[in-house]
Amino acid sequence: MTTNLNLPKLELEEYELENGLRVILNRENSIPVVSIAVYYDVGSRNEPEGRTGFAHLFEHMMFQGSENVPKAGHFQYVMKAGGTMNGTTSSERTNYFETLPADQLPLGLWLESDRMRSLAVTQENLDNQLEAVKEEKRLRYDNQPYGKIFDLLGEMVYKNFANAHSTIGSMEDLDAATVEYVQEFFRIYYAPNNAVMVISGAFETGRAKELIEKYFGSIPAQPKPPPIDVTEPEEVAETYKEYVDKLAPLPAFLMGWKVPARRTLEFNALYLAGKLLFGGDSARLYQKLVKGEESVTQLFGFTDERRGPSGIIIGAIPKPDKDLDKIRGVIVDEIKDLAVNGPTDEEMSKLRNQLVNMGVRSNQSSLSRAQNIAEYALYDGDPHLVNSEIETLVQITAEEIRNAVDKYLNTENRALLDILPADETDQ
Amino acid sequence: MNEDFRKSIPAPLEAIPFDIPRPYETELANGLKIIIVEDSRHPIVTMRLAFRSGEIDDPKGLNGLTSAMTELLNEGTGKYSSRELAERIENLGANLSVSAGLDNTLVRASTLSAYRGEVLDLIAELVLRPTFPENELNLYKQNAIEGLKYQRSQPDFLADEQMAKAVYGDHPYGTNSPNEKEIEKITRDEIIELHKRKFIPNNATLIAIGDVRSETFENEIEGLFGEWKKGEVEQANLPAPPERAERELTIVDRPGSSQANIVLSNLAISRNDPDYFRVLVMNQILGAGASSRLFMNLREEKGYTYGAYSRIYAKRHLGSFEATSEVRTAVTGESLKEFFYELDRIRNEKPSEDELIDAKNFLSGVFPIRAETQGGLTNLIVAQMLYDLPDDYLQTYREKVNAVTGEEVQRVANKYVLPDQIAMVIVGDAEAVLPQAREFAQNIEIVDAKGKPKSMEIFENDPSAPTMDIGGAWALSIDFQGQKMPVTLVLEQDGDSISGKMESMIGEGEVQNGSVKGNKISASVSSDFQGQSIELIFKGTVDGDSMTGTISTSMIPAPMEFAGKRT
Repeated sequence: MTTNLNLPKLELEEYELENGLRVILNRENSIPVVSIAVYYDVGSRNEPEGRTGFAHLFEHMMFQGSENVPKAGHFQYVMKAGGTMNGTTSSERTNYFETLPADQLPLGLWLESDRMRSLAVTQENLDNQLEAVKEEKRLRYDNQPYGKIFDLLGEMVYKNFANAHSTIGSMEDLDAATVEYVQEFFRIYYAPNNAVMVISGAFETGRAKELIEKYFGSIPAQPKPPPIDVTEPEEVAETYKEYVDKLAPLPAFLMGWKVPARRTLEFNALYLAGKLLFGGDSARLYQKLVKGEESVTQLFGFTDERRGPSGIIIGAIPKPDKDLDKIRGVIVDEIKDLAVNGPTDEEMSKLRNQLVNMGVRSNQSSLSRAQNIAEYALYDGDPHLVNSEIETLVQITAEEIRNAVDKYLNTENRALLDILPADETDQ
Repeated sequence: MNEDFRKSIPAPLEAIPFDIPRPYETELANGLKIIIVEDSRHPIVTMRLAFRSGEIDDPKGLNGLTSAMTELLNEGTGKYSSRELAERIENLGANLSVSAGLDNTLVRASTLSAYRGEVLDLIAELVLRPTFPENELNLYKQNAIEGLKYQRSQPDFLADEQMAKAVYGDHPYGTNSPNEKEIEKITRDEIIELHKRKFIPNNATLIAIGDVRSETFENEIEGLFGEWKKGEVEQANLPAPPERAERELTIVDRPGSSQANIVLSNLAISRNDPDYFRVLVMNQILGAGASSRLFMNLREEKGYTYGAYSRIYAKRHLGSFEATSEVRTAVTGESLKEFFYELDRIRNEKPSEDELIDAKNFLSGVFPIRAETQGGLTNLIVAQMLYDLPDDYLQTYREKVNAVTGEEVQRVANKYVLPDQIAMVIVGDAEAVLPQAREFAQNIEIVDAKGKPKSMEIFENDPSAPTMDIGGAWALSIDFQGQKMPVTLVLEQDGDSISGKMESMIGEGEVQNGSVKGNKISASVSSDFQGQSIELIFKGTVDGDSMTGTISTSMIPAPMEFAGKRT
């Protein structure tokens, strides 16, 4: 079952402003919409001990106004123009993006440049956003069943503090922040030479370049941010832990493995192995546990993709009174089978079709194109990978998948987190 | 370099027109409607087979039957087992799923265009020849019942459940989920019968968007679905929803909850109502987004919440208007006051010209963004079909938004936002919520998380009961995540107000806003915890020299229980 598809290639133009801001233009005029994505090279991986949660706090600060844009003005201007926007924070980066009617490109560039050059880092805004972050933590983590378990597993898988701590961070660290420190954080990490900007959608190239120079050209470069070390020893930090989750209606567990960095051959092979194990209804573990044994109501898994050592996580919410060890035994056995026998021919053909489909689909909207391009530009220094990465993945062999599974997943070197409801008889 | 250009918002460039493609439409002899949009930008196809019947068409007494039938469609057919179906679909790299909504049922598929024939074939297989195996039905039931347990731990679900009941009563929109017993009693025979009655071609539309040629694809559809037998489309006989003359409040008690989920709702419009665009603009001004009035007031100005919104659920029959927010428990009353202020204001004043323009710009601006992907455009066309919207609905969408006037906004607000007859549901700690919410409703009911009524009295204090003497020193033991933590509480009583101090190994706190009613004490304690100031909510019940109760704080999700004695 070969597809014989020549994947459509995105048209890219890459250049750098004098102040070091890397710009990538992806012109695609079929719908009069334009997306801007600005990716700053700062995430929780850049936070030292005692300063956790700063990257995420900044994502909030970036909506608090700048020299010419009032507090909360950013999202209001975007909405009033008929656009959508947001920002997110991960271990690897902080990103900001908006999608606008194509004629509103100047608005987007004005808003993004104003906060890059003149964010209002004041005590009042800082206090205000500390409260907002606490409210968010309450809503998303504290008041949610199973809300904290992925952060706990991260602490078990990774030994290096840079990798192990959560993005939401510690409230004590945030409360201890002085406005001077926050200003310094902004100066270093939110500099044009520490960012990538992608414009994707309907625009006229010459006009876009003029506007970019006009709005961003005069923002001064800053010294390089301090180097970071995200290296990890091979072993996981902790192999077993129990956690009582008072809101959880049922017990659950998570298993985590440490794997090599994104885009290494081994990571790619493990990413594909993950699809075979837990991706979709035909996946091996779904067929064994949700069907088959019928012992699990929810099965989930994902790769925690990072520029440094990364992770693979598999979790389940079993049915009441099921033997959790037995379920974990099934997972371990299935990994072993993949490590010994490798994927079947049918599975290899499935992976190819899924990769091609995903490659096409994820480039449909201007926003997801801008985001895909920005990641390759920021993490790998090469936006053109957006046009070749699917082919790289398609070329990975069954033997390469088998080897990687054998080396990284078929091992006792893994973390296991048991989540217990506060009172099982209370349900 | 002169940087004055930064001082004001830049002018837009020349606008680029957006023309939404007109689809190719046809119909098979058996009544199956077909809509095709050719779009060869990407080598993929998105398909929907949409049925104009949904959960509200469940036969009487058989709640949940449509969902069960739908979920089981891809769990076995004449040719394939559940596993074979999953493998065939995923081996093509395609996606195929089925789901039922209140009004409609949708088969969704997307695939590389190279495999569109195979995928269409699989759609035909599971729609025309499902076998509904008994073992798959049993598994479905088990998982649905487990899923319900999880849902019941979610405040949103609890709020929806009570609100649906309050607004719609016995109308089928009044049920947001079948209960365990209803799931339990579903049988294979009933599923087969429902499938036969509802899955008929003259009740369905097949929509395909993407890299296809209309004529060839139409032929492929004809080949697979041409023999499908026509049936009789049944019209649901729906009871009228209840009328409400006053505000009614249902509190769902979640003891110790750090937040109160507030939902206000009343009946509004159907999806094909001529007032639709006016209501859309009105709702945009009032509460649809982060620059709307509710958000600006409750979040940006008052800081009560992470968000506050209003929505229009324009369904096939009778839709509803809803306003919601999750607020800190302590500001429940203040939040209700602001909600009603805004609901009154949108009715009593014409919106400003700026607000009107901003709302219209937003709605017409995001329209092309929603149509950017195949999936997005498909969803727009599906809605147009299923709700019998005019042929030029998508082409004239932005014109109709832009034609709405301020007078019309005020008129539809008066017609569809009904603060004096609104239904209110609050999921939160009833003991803390009731005194704050009481003045806003004429009728109040309290229920537990399973929907069982709770006696109001346990939350009221008998005014004639003597106020107990609770002064003195108390030695309490708190259950902190399975560990016992000793706490000393020294209270001073002055009439029914109390003050004092709390001491524990983690720090010292000041008792504030304390009060005693009968044998119940409530107070907040501001305490210093590892250099950080936190607020604890303290609630106790005194029996002689013994006291039991809970301490809750936003830092810990569930309340901590305590017990102890006067020393």
